[in-house]
This record gives sequence, structure tokens and C-alpha cells, in this order.
Amino acid sequence: MAEKEIIKTVNLNLWYAEKQALYDVNMSVLANKITALIGPSGCGKSTLIRCFNRMNDVIDKCKITGSILFDGADIYDANADAVEIRKKIGMVFQKPNPFPKSIYENIAYGPRVQGKNNKKDLDAIVENSLKVAALWDEASDRLHESAMGLSGGQQQRLCIARSLAIEPEIILMDEPCSSLDPIATAKIEDLMLELKKKYTVIIVTHNMQQAARVSDFTAYMYLGKLIEFGRTKQIFENPKEELTENYITGRFG
Amino acid sequence: MTIKKKGDMIFTKSKRNRKEKVIKSIFFIAAIFGVVTIFSILFFLLKEAYPLPTDLWSFLSGTKWSPTESLLFGTYPLIVGTLLVTFGAMALAIPLSIGGALFISEIASSRVRSIIKPAIELLAGIPSVVYGFFGLILLTSWIKDFFGVPTGETWLAGSIILGIMAIPTITTVAEDALKAVPREYKEGSLAMGATRWQTINKVVLPTALSGITAAIILGIGRAVGETMAILMVCGNAAIIPSPLWNTFSPIRTLTSTLGIETAEVPVGGPHYHALFGVAVLLLLITLIINISAVYLLGLLQKRHNATKAKKKKPLLSITLVLKIKKILTSFVLLFLLLLLYLITGLLMTGALVVLGVLLWFMVKKLSQKSLQKIAFSTIGVSIIIILILLGIILSYIFINGTGMLSWEFLTEPPRSLGRAGGISTALIGTMYLVAGAIAIALPIGVGASIYLTEYTKESIMTKIIRTGADLLNGTPSIVFGLFGFAFFVLYLNFGFSLLAGQITLAFMIIPTILRTTEEALRSVPQAIREGSYAVGATRWQTIRRVVLPPAAPGIITGAILGIGRAAGETAPIMFTAVAFSSFFPSSFFEPVNALPYHLFIIATNVPGTAARAAAGGTALVLLLLVIGFYAIAILIRNHYQKTMKW
Repeated sequence: MAEKEIIKTVNLNLWYAEKQALYDVNMSVLANKITALIGPSGCGKSTLIRCFNRMNDVIDKCKITGSILFDGADIYDANADAVEIRKKIGMVFQKPNPFPKSIYENIAYGPRVQGKNNKKDLDAIVENSLKVAALWDEASDRLHESAMGLSGGQQQRLCIARSLAIEPEIILMDEPCSSLDPIATAKIEDLMLELKKKYTVIIVTHNMQQAARVSDFTAYMYLGKLIEFGRTKQIFENPKEELTENYITGRFG
Repeated sequence: MTIKKKGDMIFTKSKRNRKEKVIKSIFFIAAIFGVVTIFSILFFLLKEAYPLPTDLWSFLSGTKWSPTESLLFGTYPLIVGTLLVTFGAMALAIPLSIGGALFISEIASSRVRSIIKPAIELLAGIPSVVYGFFGLILLTSWIKDFFGVPTGETWLAGSIILGIMAIPTITTVAEDALKAVPREYKEGSLAMGATRWQTINKVVLPTALSGITAAIILGIGRAVGETMAILMVCGNAAIIPSPLWNTFSPIRTLTSTLGIETAEVPVGGPHYHALFGVAVLLLLITLIINISAVYLLGLLQKRHNATKAKKKKPLLSITLVLKIKKILTSFVLLFLLLLLYLITGLLMTGALVVLGVLLWFMVKKLSQKSLQKIAFSTIGVSIIIILILLGIILSYIFINGTGMLSWEFLTEPPRSLGRAGGISTALIGTMYLVAGAIAIALPIGVGASIYLTEYTKESIMTKIIRTGADLLNGTPSIVFGLFGFAFFVLYLNFGFSLLAGQITLAFMIIPTILRTTEEALRSVPQAIREGSYAVGATRWQTIRRVVLPPAAPGIITGAILGIGRAAGETAPIMFTAVAFSSFFPSSFFEPVNALPYHLFIIATNVPGTAARAAAGGTALVLLLLVIGFYAIAILIRNHYQKTMKW
């Protein structure tokens, strides 16, 4: 498959009140690849991923300059609509955050708010999303029970299924495994590899092995700056920057 | 039309955005309402107070209030009366409340806490006219017999009743402040080998100090603004007690003056303007009290978030602060000594000082363990006293009223001024008033809080709205009454009517609903909202489908608390809606009877044992009604606090 750029940041700067959190970030993400953002705590990787679907809009006193081009259109354009953007660019959060509703309603929520109310369509979407998220076998007989009763790993796969239900182009994952045990983590990683056939995945992770295992591209960030960005193999085996090498080899971070 | 690029799909859908904007502005209007109300209250009171019949200085300092006979409008004795009654009430309420708060948050097991906390909250639900009835019948006669004074309707009686009424306010706010002390602080102290009492004394109390101070200030505000109970037990003579500390002197407050005189005043005359002057005075006093409480609570919140905030250089150096503290403490001590000397004479003062010093040295000698024992038993005693007070009041009302309860009593209209017949008109009238009030207040209160929590980032605007609501919350109910009288009854020409009463009551309960709804909305985690935005839900969709359902129990709790409060209030409807009648209103523009008003009239204005018995029955019905609402609200809240987990 030809490599095609789907989203890129151009001179992206971000401030929380007085404090600058991102400095001139320029990176472009290819479609149907997994791109990992790594770096020590507070380096701005979560901040950056939340820029891609304008999730920072809901945070007080957050100011952004520069642009992010999604298929050529600036999502920070004055006429761009955060709601439309989020329909195209879904997100899975650090801690599973299912709604206090049934499993079925959690997944049907996205299609419903977009005006799809046909029961048959919704049934199909729910089943399909759960299957792709590898949760169907565990949840098919309890679709109408509360999602709060699922285990942490199941809840996170439910949140992935929820983001799939609206058929986005890109799925953002902000440390999706940080509150999960190794077995649940392995399931989610398998899932990511499955997902990239159809979607573009951007993932923030603390876990360098995870980045090395699943991602095609890796971006190393430090103190709000993008230090190095390239193919994962190159970043891990032959980093160009000393800072990257120090982090990768565990001499710091 | 074909879409060339997926990227083009991200641009605005104008129709949907217009809908979102309309919804937002609806909530904004609700929010702005609180601010407009507080300013319009102030404006109308000022307008009606002008022109004062005397110059401002003699209005404030004149020592004689005799508005009808000699046209003297000196509010000085009223101000002194208000201050004295409040001072006495605080002397009773502050130690008991802080003891109670410490017991609930630091000592009680969770099981004991789950019983005592609701009990104290119920204390807050007893209508003030029921407190007044209890004080009028029982407390004043106890004081009369026990101290052998000619009448029990005194400063002392007022202070005791007001003190009891202020206890729940101070206790709950102080307990919140204590509970907000991070557990790490306590564990840090305990880990250094401090006893529990040392931890409470040296770590917990200092950390919670500004919250506890705010609690006390709010309690003072409550006491200053109380009308009905004070009016019924204080004797209402507009005199300055002589000597000043003569607690057996009758006394009259600013509020009771309004309560007694407003109904009979000729509109537009000097007396009328003077009364509105009193209302402005009262409003200003409570505004100052409440602003300082709001400010202190704000400080507390800031400090808890302080780890992230930049450290500022303190205004005064620490050594200077310590010096000022020392000087202030010695001043207070000197003042207390002087007071003691004035009241008891030289010999007693000397003896007491010696005793105090001895006690001080004894305490110094005690081991930490016995100190803890003494401290904990003092706290235990204070909570027991609170519970006994609650028990006495409740059991008196129950014993006194059950004999009257019957189907006829509830369904018959009153006859011969309430001596015979029942209370059906009052019962139905209260229901009309409350239903109207909640129908108006609920959409505004809920709308305003949705705007505050969901639509705005913290800004000056939200601060103004929230402060407006807080101030409205602390405004004395009698001031609402006068405002309703000036605005709805006279200016809009509604006359004494159901509608005027409903709107006035609604104004009064909006802050309650706003605050509880805001709390409920805030307890829904931000992560849930983000989850909803992330799948492309709009703000309104997120609010309606994800935020409101789990917040619903909290909102319902607030609404029920509002209903309870509206059902028990007398002062706001006294000059806007009620008439002592045996008829049902046939339109919104006719006056109604109401339970608290009915009770007030037959307890104070109708002589005879039949009237007394009917008053007992009315008090019980009113108490059951209001306490019932409060109990339901508390149960709903406790149930969902337990089952809701995120």
C-alpha cells in the first residue's frame, strides 16, 4: 500500500495559562500506520495527542498557535467544528471512562448523538464494534448490563469499541494500557495491530517496549519539543539525537 | 455536490451550531437572573426607603424607636438588640457546633456518623415559626419559673432559640472544612507519634481554621437574619437593656421590627420609608457578613490547590504576623476581663482569674493521654447536648400536637379564628405556594447551575454569578418579604396574592437549588464528558445524555430541600400572600392561608386553651411536612452517595 499522509502539525505551540507546553511541533502522520509518542512524564505527549481532536478546547486558559492539517484542512481554522472533527478522529483515554449506562448504550451512544436511531442499524454497529474490539465473546450475553461491572481491561476495550462505532479515520489512544495488567495489555496491543488495517492509530505510551512492539513510527518528545521523529526501527536501533539515545537506553527518564 | 477531500467535512454545520447557541443563551439568561435579582432587591428597598423620615445619622444613632406616637425613628436600640441576641446565640452555638463538627468528622465511627449527621441536618429543617412556638410556650415559661423573673420573653430566650437554630449551619459548614483536611496531613502527624487529640489540635484545626471561621460567620448571618422565632420569644420592647448585660430584659431586633410593623403601615408615609430603611440596613449587614464568609471559603479552596499555584511572597512577614497575633490575643483577654469585672465586680473577677491560672497550670501538667481524654469527653458532651436539644424540641412538638391530629383537623377549614375546625385552608394554601415556587425556581436554579458548570470557564463573570447566588442565599427571609411587598404587591399591583407569594418564595429558594445542582453536576467526572465529546457529541448532547442522568438524584435532592424550605417560611409570605382565611383562593390574585402563618397567628394573637391546642396540632403538621421533605432529600442523597461509584 502506498504511504499517504493523513494528518500533520505545522509549527504547533501550546500554552496552559502562562506556561508553554508545546514548542514548534512539526510532524506528519501516515495513514494506516501506528505512530507512537514517547518521552518522560510532562514532556507534552498527552498534550499533543489531545490537540489532534481538539480535546484541549475543554481545558481552561489553553492557547494554541500554528495549525494541524487533517487531510489538508486546518482543524484550528475559525470555521472548523470540533464536533465534526471528533467524528473523524476518535479517542481512547488513559483511564477507561465508560458512561454509567449499559454496554449496548455505551456503544450506541456515538451513532445516536449523530442521529442514527434505527434499532437494526444500531444492533449491527454494536455487534460489529464489539467484535472488532475483541469483546463480543465476553459481552454478547450481557449487553444490557451496566458497563461499570466490567473489568478494567474489558472497560478499556469497550471504550475502544465505542470509538469504533462512529467509524473515524484516526483513533487517538492516550496511554490506553497504563491502568491495565499485562494480559489485558497484550489483548489491546493485538487489537491495535488489527485496527491499523482500517484506521490510523496514534498512541501515547510510557512503555518503550510497547512502542517498539506495535508502532511503525515513533516520536520522541522532551520538555514540550519534538526531539526526533522517524520509523520505529530507526529510532530504537539508530537514533540520531543524543537525547533520544539516552532515553531509549534508559540512561535517563 | 461531491466531496473531494475528507478534510472538508470538518467544517461547521451552521444549523446545529445555532441550536447549541440558543440552548446556551437560555442557560445564560437563567444564570444572569440571580445577579439581577440581588441588585433589584437592593434597588427596590433603597427606592422605598427614600426619603428617610430623619437624617441618616439620627436614623442610626437615635435611641428611641417610636414610629407611630412620637414619630421618632432611631434604630440604635434595634441594632443593639440584634447584636446582643446574636452575641448570646453565638456564645451557645459556637462551642457546641465546633464540638459537634469535631465529633462527626474526627471521632465518630462511620455508623454513628451516619445517624448523627442527618439528625443535625434535620435540626436545620425545623421551620423557624415552630422554633418560635416552642420558645413561646415552653422555653419562656421555664425561664420565668427558673429565674423568678416577671416574664420569660427575654433576650435570654431569644439567644437560646437562635443559638439552637444556628447550630446546624455552623456544624455542617465546619464539618465540611474539617473533612477537607487531607488525610496525609493527619497520617503525617500520627506517624510522628502525636496523639489523636494533638493531631486534631495542632494539624487539623489550624488547617481548617478559615473554613471554621466562615462557618461561624454564616451562623452569625443566620442569627442576624432570623425573624419569626425571635419575634415570638423576645418581648419586642424597643429598649436597650439596662445594664447592657441584663439578659432578662426584653429586646427587639431589626428583623422583628419589620415583622411586627410592616403589615399595618400606611404605604408611603414616614413610617413606611423608615421600615424600608431598616430593611436596607439589615440587608447591608448580612451582605457584609456573607461576603466575608464567601471570601474566607474561597481562601480555603485556594490553599488546597496551592501546591500547583505559584508561591507569592506573603504580605506580612511571619514574625510580624506572630506579633500581631500576640497583641490581638492580649486585647481580647483584657476586654473579657473588663466585661467580667463589669458584670461580677472586683472580687469575683480576681477569684476567677486565679482559678483560670490554676487551671492553666493543671492542664500543662497533664499527660497527653489524659489531655486527649478530657478533650474527647468535652466534644462528646457537646454532641450529647445538641442531641438533647433536638430531642426536647421534637418530643415537645409531638406530645403537644398528636392529640389534635385527626381527619377532621386536616380537612376542615378553621372556625372562630382557628379555635375550632381544622387547617385545610392553610394546608392547601401552603401546597399552592410551594408548588408555584418550585415551578418557578427549579428551571431557573437548574439552568443557572448548568450554565456555571458546563458552559463557562472560570472567569469574573462566573464569580459574579456565584457570589450573587451566595449573597441571595444569605439574605434574610424578611428582606425577601419586604421586597415582594414593594415590588409585586405594590409596584406591579398584584395585591396580597398567591402569585406574589409564589414568586417571592421562588426567589428565596433559587440559591439552594442552584448550589445543590452545581454540586451534583461537578461530581460527574470530567472523563465521562470527554468520552462523550470524543465520539462527536455536542455540548448539549453531552449534558443531556451523559451528565444530567447521573446528576439527577442530586438535583432532586436540591429541589426537595427547596420545597421544604419554602413550606416552612413565614416571613417572605407575610406581606405578599397570606391572609388568615377560611377560604380557598380561586385565582392567582387572591390571598391564601398558609400553615406557618396560621400557626403564627393562633399562637400569638388568639388567646385561650382551644387556640393553644390548635396551635400545637398545626405545629406538628407543619413540622411533619417539612421534616418529611428534608428526610426524603437526605435519604436520596445518602442512597446515591453509597451506590454511585466512578
